[in-house]
Parts: sequence; C-alpha cells; structure tokens
Amino acid sequence: MTTRQPRAARARRLTSALATIAAAAGALTVAAQEPVGIMGINGSWERYPNIASGLGSDSARVAPPAPGPIPDPPLKPQYIGEWRASAARAAELIQQGVPQPDSGSACLPQGMPGMMTAIFPMEVLVSPGQVTMIQEAFNQVRRVYLDEELPAVEDAEPRFSGHSAGRWEGETLVVETIGVKDYVRFRNVPHSMSMRIVERIRLVDRDYMENVLTVTDPEYLTAPWTWKWMYRRWPGYKLQEYVCEDNRYDPSLEYQQLRVEPAQ
Amino acid sequence: MIRSDRASAAALFALALVAGTPAFAHHSFAPYEPDVQVQFTGVVTKYQWTNPHVYIEMDIRSADGETKRWLIEGANPGILNRIGWKWNMIKVGDEISVIVSPLRNGDPAALLKAVRLPDGTIFGNGGPAGPARIKFDEESAQ
Repeated sequence: MTTRQPRAARARRLTSALATIAAAAGALTVAAQEPVGIMGINGSWERYPNIASGLGSDSARVAPPAPGPIPDPPLKPQYIGEWRASAARAAELIQQGVPQPDSGSACLPQGMPGMMTAIFPMEVLVSPGQVTMIQEAFNQVRRVYLDEELPAVEDAEPRFSGHSAGRWEGETLVVETIGVKDYVRFRNVPHSMSMRIVERIRLVDRDYMENVLTVTDPEYLTAPWTWKWMYRRWPGYKLQEYVCEDNRYDPSLEYQQLRVEPAQ
Repeated sequence: MIRSDRASAAALFALALVAGTPAFAHHSFAPYEPDVQVQFTGVVTKYQWTNPHVYIEMDIRSADGETKRWLIEGANPGILNRIGWKWNMIKVGDEISVIVSPLRNGDPAALLKAVRLPDGTIFGNGGPAGPARIKFDEESAQ
C-alpha cells in the first residue's frame, strides 16, 4: 500500500496535468473560432467581478485577476482636504441612516466616467465609424465616433456623457472624452470643463474586456488619475429598460421620505 | 427557497464607505434598520413595477387588530428579473408574507429582504438589498 499511494498520486498529478493541457488546447481552439479583432468587443457585458446577486449573471465563472481598487484622486492640495472631509461626512451620514441626496437619488444618469462602472449590464455595438455603448442603468448611451476630431474644449456642449472620439490602435479601442458637465460627479470628485478622459479598451481574452481609464484635469488634479474596470461577456443577455419614473426620494427633505399613500 | 446571496453585508458596507456615495443605481438603503428583520403578512393593495425601485403596498394587521398600510421597497425590475421575479407574479388582493427591515424613523415603510407568494414560492430582493437573515414563520430577529 505504501508504494502504491505515491504511484497513484503521481498518476493523479499526471492526469491533472494532461487535463490542464487539454483544457488549454481546447480553449485555444475555441478562441480561434470566435470573433476576434475589433468586432470582439461587440455584445452584452456585465461588470467583473460581479459584486452582488442580481447585478449580473450570478455565474460562478472567475478567470482573470480582478482589477484592484480605484485609487484616491490626485486632487490639488486645496481640494483634497474638502474631498476627504466630504467622503467622511457621507460615510457618517450613511451610518446614521440619513444618506445625502446625490445625482442617483435624484434619478439623474451617472454620466462619464461613472457610467462605465457598468453597475448593471452593458451592451457594446460596433458599427462602421462608430462604437455605441449602452448601459442598462438609466438607459445611458454613449456614442464614440471613430477617427473624428473632438470639438475644442470651449466649444464642446456640456453633456452627461460628454463627447467621445475613438481610434483603434491594433485591437485596443482608445477613446478620448471631453465636455462632461461640471456638476457630473464620479466618487464626488470635482472637475472642470478641461477634464479629459482617455480609455483604453481591449479584450484580455475572448470573454473578458478591460477598460483602463485615465482622467486628467489641469484645474483640479496634480497628476493623471488612472484605474481599471473589467467586464465579462454575457452571451445572449438582452438589456432591460430603465426609465427612472418613481423617485420617492425628496432631497428637499432632511430625511428620506417614502410616499406611503397609494398613488392614485 | 431563498436564493443564496454571495455578497456579504460586510463587503457591501465596506463598499459604501469606500465609494462615499450610494453604491447602486438609485438611493442608499441606509434609512432602513440595518440589523432588524421582521416578518409581515398582509394583503397587497398595490404592486408597482417601476424603476428605480419596485414597490409593494400592503395592508398589514397588527396584533391589536389595527390595519395599517405599509410600503415595501424592492430592488429595481432589472435586478429582480435577473433573480427570477416576474413583473406580474404579485397581484392586488394576494395575501403574501414578507421579511423586511423597517425604516429607522418608524414610518410604515420597509426594505424587502424576501417575499413569499400565495403558492409558497419565496424570492429574495437581490444582493444590494441584502439577504433575509430570518426564515418565514420563525421568530423575528431583533
């Protein structure tokens, strides 16, 4: 028995190694049959990793390493103190059960760059001259025009999602965005109309896409603010409608008030 | 059966702190009791399938016989569809049971944790709202 066990263990290790090689070969074969290149980003996606049940597919698949946390913004010294204090205040109010109103509680869309969090699933449509990104959350839509010039910053009509121009660098879609309304907030970080967001979007494999974002803003930031989001392909998922139509949160009141009388 | 919930309350709490703003699409669930869950049974007077939240209004009779109308807040239709709900699975007049966390301020409104339909089927309310920590027809957790 004592001699058999190591042999059995060796056999198991060998079997396991062979299975790994076979799986890898299989994955390569499948990958080769799937759409690659710029069409590869087409389709439905969910945030990766999915952080809570119901936000995505609830699939147990876990493959590439998840992105790290988003670093604090490199705000200029005159802004960083207020930003930290306001984050602490917001956390304290949540603890007390009286969260501050924000754009979400007012039923407003997230805008850029927050919408690319993909809190709910997202659809990417690649068409000639354009990549369209649709978020289920708030029905938000971005249109990235390929190989076009962005308007000058001072001419860019302020929008929630701004103005975006893109180009393919190999199989990486590089998108530049300007013209985000100055009251659109991501993580409550202030920004000016000079804010510029560069996204480098690419498939890391057939089913996972990464988006490396870099935000610059000469008025508020001392350095580029960079982080990575990832998305997992969700084959066949059909985005749902999201019209924010019954907002029972009234920011004019000190406390969140929920309407308790039946609507007529 | 209550659907399992992979995100722990601690993780969600940490996320809310880090983000500094509500982590989800609409508003924070902070006005609701974080640690109290109770079961109510009552008759549905309204079932509203809307974004940013689904609402169930129900008439609930208390132990002293008084009937009060409660507003039960659900997640949004997208989340609920993804965990198996259907827009028409609850009807006015249905007697249903819910496990909820009431508002901290005492108003008759509550955050849904789980619902049991007349046929006995049980659904959760998705990860952001957090899981039911009590079972139907067992003693309420305080």
